[in-house]
Amino acid sequence: MHTFKINYWFLSSLFISCFVCIPLIVIGISLFQDVSGYYQLLGETYVYTYIANTLLVLTGVLVLTFIFGVGAAYLTSFYQFPGSTFFTWALILSFAVPSYIYAYSLTAFFGYFGNLYSFLNYLFGPSDYHTLIPKVDGLLGSILSMSFSLFIYVYLITRASFIYQSQNLVDAGKIMGFSNYQTFKKIIFPSARPGIVVGLSLVAMESISDFGTVSFFNIQTLTTAIYDSWIIFDDIATAYQLSFFLIVIVLIFFWLERMSRSRSKFYMPTRGYEAINKIQLQGTSAAYATTFCLLLFTCSFLFPISQILLWVIQFPDNIHLAQLIELSVNTVSIVILTTLCLIVLAFFTNYGMRISKSKFLNAVTNFSVSGYVIPGVILAVTLLSFLSFVSKLANSNWIHFLFSGSIIGLVIAYCVRFYSLAINGIKSGYEKLNTNLDDASYLLGYTKFGTFIKIHLPFLQPNLLLIAMLVAIDILKELPITLILRPFNFETFATQAYTFASQDMLEHAAGPSLFLIIFSAIFILLSKKYILKGF
Amino acid sequence: MAHYFEFNNVSYSKNNEHILTNVSFSIPRQGDTVAILGPSGIGKTTILKCISGVRKIDQGTIQLKNKILHDSHTYIDPEQRNIALSFQDNALFPHYTVEENIRFGIQKSLFCSKNKNGPLKYSMEDLLELFFVPELKNKYPHEISTGQAQRVGLVRSIIHNPDLLLLDEPFANLDQNLKDKAQKNLKEILKSTGITTILVTHDKYEAFYLSDYCGILLQGGIVQFDSPYNIHHIPNSKEVVEFFNRGVLIPVEVVSDDTLFNKDLGEIKGKLVKKYEKGEQVNLLIQPEDLEHDDSSTLKFEVIDKKFRGTNLIYTLQTPSALQLPVFVHSHHEHLHAEQEKFGIKQPIFIDHLVCF
Repeated sequence: MHTFKINYWFLSSLFISCFVCIPLIVIGISLFQDVSGYYQLLGETYVYTYIANTLLVLTGVLVLTFIFGVGAAYLTSFYQFPGSTFFTWALILSFAVPSYIYAYSLTAFFGYFGNLYSFLNYLFGPSDYHTLIPKVDGLLGSILSMSFSLFIYVYLITRASFIYQSQNLVDAGKIMGFSNYQTFKKIIFPSARPGIVVGLSLVAMESISDFGTVSFFNIQTLTTAIYDSWIIFDDIATAYQLSFFLIVIVLIFFWLERMSRSRSKFYMPTRGYEAINKIQLQGTSAAYATTFCLLLFTCSFLFPISQILLWVIQFPDNIHLAQLIELSVNTVSIVILTTLCLIVLAFFTNYGMRISKSKFLNAVTNFSVSGYVIPGVILAVTLLSFLSFVSKLANSNWIHFLFSGSIIGLVIAYCVRFYSLAINGIKSGYEKLNTNLDDASYLLGYTKFGTFIKIHLPFLQPNLLLIAMLVAIDILKELPITLILRPFNFETFATQAYTFASQDMLEHAAGPSLFLIIFSAIFILLSKKYILKGF
Repeated sequence: MAHYFEFNNVSYSKNNEHILTNVSFSIPRQGDTVAILGPSGIGKTTILKCISGVRKIDQGTIQLKNKILHDSHTYIDPEQRNIALSFQDNALFPHYTVEENIRFGIQKSLFCSKNKNGPLKYSMEDLLELFFVPELKNKYPHEISTGQAQRVGLVRSIIHNPDLLLLDEPFANLDQNLKDKAQKNLKEILKSTGITTILVTHDKYEAFYLSDYCGILLQGGIVQFDSPYNIHHIPNSKEVVEFFNRGVLIPVEVVSDDTLFNKDLGEIKGKLVKKYEKGEQVNLLIQPEDLEHDDSSTLKFEVIDKKFRGTNLIYTLQTPSALQLPVFVHSHHEHLHAEQEKFGIKQPIFIDHLVCF
């Protein structure tokens, strides 16, 4: 009975959805294509090694991030000990250090004639200490680098599920005669388990998609193999075949994450919620707790940043102001551009879902947010080959020129990768804003647009800030997409550091690495209040 | 002549579930207050939302001051209707203070062309005072109680001086004492400003006190629309009787135009509301105030239950044929009757309106 209007809200979700489809379709089609000779060679020799390496790194990282993340979350949520308030927020600073930069600092410290060697030399006089210093590279190096930079996902989400538990539950356990240990085992841990699984799944997806760290340590995993077959062997068919394996592994964790997220909703606080009373630790137990957190903070943040600072001080000639300014301008402008695009798209879609209540739009959006699952390498490679396919089909080069090796292509790829972060960030704010408030505003004489400006925007300001910060940090740290899709000669902190490091010029990588960490740390500190609530 | 407000054959469904089906009622004159009474979940709030325009109806017509607000061809946006709604859950904007929340409404309504009524003769301060929340101006919604927030929401909607004011359970979260005072002040404001109002409530005393007309909304739509007096004394169907849950139906035989007969009570005289044939078997509604107590009467029944209501007592009496009759007695009645004691009913029995079904 009412005239049907085109809902413009669909367009942004539909647009992103199309780009999410591209990698899946391209890889799907490639499965039915003839494989190259190189792939057959690989299949006989290395494919299983790649998969095994990927899984080895994954297992190591999951074990360590579980210990670091859950341990730190447990201590800071339930106990008070010297430094506990400080560690609660300071630990998230490790989010500023990407794992590949962590890898550079590990090498600088433990490497041949590295900083540890110089330090021992300085302390005890010259000797051949390098024979005594353990080598921390290869698999071990990759696992450590990733664990220290990724444990924060487990920490934040576990902490959120710990602190939202009600003291009433703990008290109920006590009344039933449970000891502290039993209360943890039977009540606290089981109800935080879905949260922990969500955190670990996110870690798993990041670790499987990692490119910078494993490539630096020369560990052949699926991501490096995809990159190599694309860049070095120019063999796109092989890249797709390998991508298939990678996507399958990632999807398992994606499924796990989704399942656990919906389960964890059951454990959210209801009426009568009472905040946990923290227990004051004394004596040795306090010392253990402080030591654990201090070690974690030192290893995950102080260690890499001090290494990089040391380089900067030791080799001031490698710091070129003009170059750093150019990098800052490049990085900051791409960050601002993408963040703005994402926020506009996310607002448009969320607002559309709110007022149209369309199931179709919901379904399209749910699909489009799954872009974060697709590893950056695959996203970039498939996007490029799709563009050349379309250009050939249209028999014109402008599409290729417009999107590949251009800022536009880069921004689109970032948007696909980080769309879920933006959508869900704004969605969680909107969920707290009762729809009756919209009706009240209309009745008080405000139009839809007026309501958006006067009610939605001011209310969602914290969410907006949090999303802007998180997206900015992610883009700052993002490596493979930028490396593959950036315009010629366009460098960001991440790519510049990677380029130097891959040419064994680690001291030169110090400048961009330091700037990257400083920028990320500023963004983290600006939004730490909201980050600590869990995302 | 067309009525001031009309709600004609309106149907509304959500997720394929029919919430309103062909519901109709109207407000004859400007300045009247209409109360919609009904059980929970029947669609009372939905009616208000449809009138305000925040829900779009499937069919029917909504018309205010001879102007169509919503029908198959026309739909006027809520912000263009000059209708104010006070939400049951108050819907205060969480990021604005109480004062900002109230001003948010005034800014738009008084300075835009749609409102020809001019400013209300009460200021914001007056209204806050009249609803007993004068000290809350600078507080945020999360700093005040639900009942206070609801009254702030009420002030925000009244201050518009709208063409039509919609109130959804305005005093649901107040204690009885404050509720009585707030109702008195609301009535005074509505009468002195002449704001036409539709009130939704499940509290019949609130409805009877505030309204000129009451509509009873049950499963089949508005089943009775009448003055509070008639709604109470002359309910038009068994469903309305059941909804109020006050009184019982007893079998009687029609003896003449003004006389009925029941084998336990004997002759019952009064004015029959509807015409029946002589000898017809019907059910008569007996409400607690219909029968009078008389200790000296020979017509006595056994007391099986007694409810003390402060100002009065309601006895339940059992007749030989197992009818259970409620009888209202002033609580200062000189002596109390225990359960299982005999209790006299004044004869001859005379009831003003004989309501039969």
